[in-house]
Amino acid sequence: MGGMSSTQYPEAGDPRQIVRWARRYAKSRTISFMVQWLLMVCLLLGIWIAASLTHTAYLAHNYGLVTASAAAMSLFALVLVWFSVSRWGGEFIWRITMWLYGEEGYVEYTSNARGASAQWWLTVLGAGMVIYHLLGALLITFGSLAIEHMQPFSACYMVPFLVVLILVQRLGFWAWIWPVLYAMHAVLVAVGAPIVFPRHLELLNMALPVFGYGLVAILVGHAYSRFALWRLKRLTRSGLPPAGTAQQAGE
Amino acid sequence: MNELDRTIHEPARLRVLTILSGVDVADFNFLLSTLGLTKGNLSSHMDKLEKAGYVEIVKSFSGRMPHTEFRLTPQGQEALEAYWRDLDAIRAMQVPKE
Repeated sequence: MGGMSSTQYPEAGDPRQIVRWARRYAKSRTISFMVQWLLMVCLLLGIWIAASLTHTAYLAHNYGLVTASAAAMSLFALVLVWFSVSRWGGEFIWRITMWLYGEEGYVEYTSNARGASAQWWLTVLGAGMVIYHLLGALLITFGSLAIEHMQPFSACYMVPFLVVLILVQRLGFWAWIWPVLYAMHAVLVAVGAPIVFPRHLELLNMALPVFGYGLVAILVGHAYSRFALWRLKRLTRSGLPPAGTAQQAGE
Repeated sequence: MNELDRTIHEPARLRVLTILSGVDVADFNFLLSTLGLTKGNLSSHMDKLEKAGYVEIVKSFSGRMPHTEFRLTPQGQEALEAYWRDLDAIRAMQVPKE
């Protein structure tokens, strides 16, 4: 939207700077990503704890506990899938996000991924990502891929996928932090840098880059949105009488 | 020299339109908190902008709470661009600010 490019009007103090800061603010509102991140981490943690418990109970021949923990694991997995694909999941995130932003209100610099065709091929790419990672898991199972090389293997798909997602959804600069850190991590692992977790913590080799770098990007975006909003308010309120004064809306 | 659009020339309305030209959609609360106007004042400005055809108002309900969103119309975008062009032309002629 908007044919008026703010870069055409770089002078400080020009009201047209409002365009630039409104857009920067809208592009760096990351609370909805934070909510999604938190829910995903909680559900995946639930799956991991239930899976560990199932394994321990199986070794202890406690089949009652095996059944209960396996059921809990399946439940967490079902909730995760349902949450990811259902309309209700999106509405739930929307409500929490609106509540967290509170009086700040809602503003959006819409992604152009709203069109049906864009949504369709993004879904295909997302499904491709899942299949690709399942393939990675199979390769590990059959000994064709060392578990410590799963992250570089993952990065070969994840990084271009995230780049496409960022470009299509027109996310702010903060979003680039994620693929850049993920790619750097992959390169470091590939060249043998000592950043691989030992066997008993091997899940962290994937979990930390995926969720850790994601969280870093989201927090940077949120911090920047605070700054952008502060700048926007300063610009928009300069020259306006404060609220409550007898300003008339007329001419 | 074109005369400046009086609807846009009012400072609060100019800021509303400028904000809306930078984003695709903004709700009432966002404009209220950003501009620091009163609810009545902002409503009045938005009515005028809607009557001029410069903004589109979308009213909905979020649960039981009413939710009002605003978008700049193509006509509003055109009018805003014309306003800045006219203002720049006036500035170029070094006409003192009002």
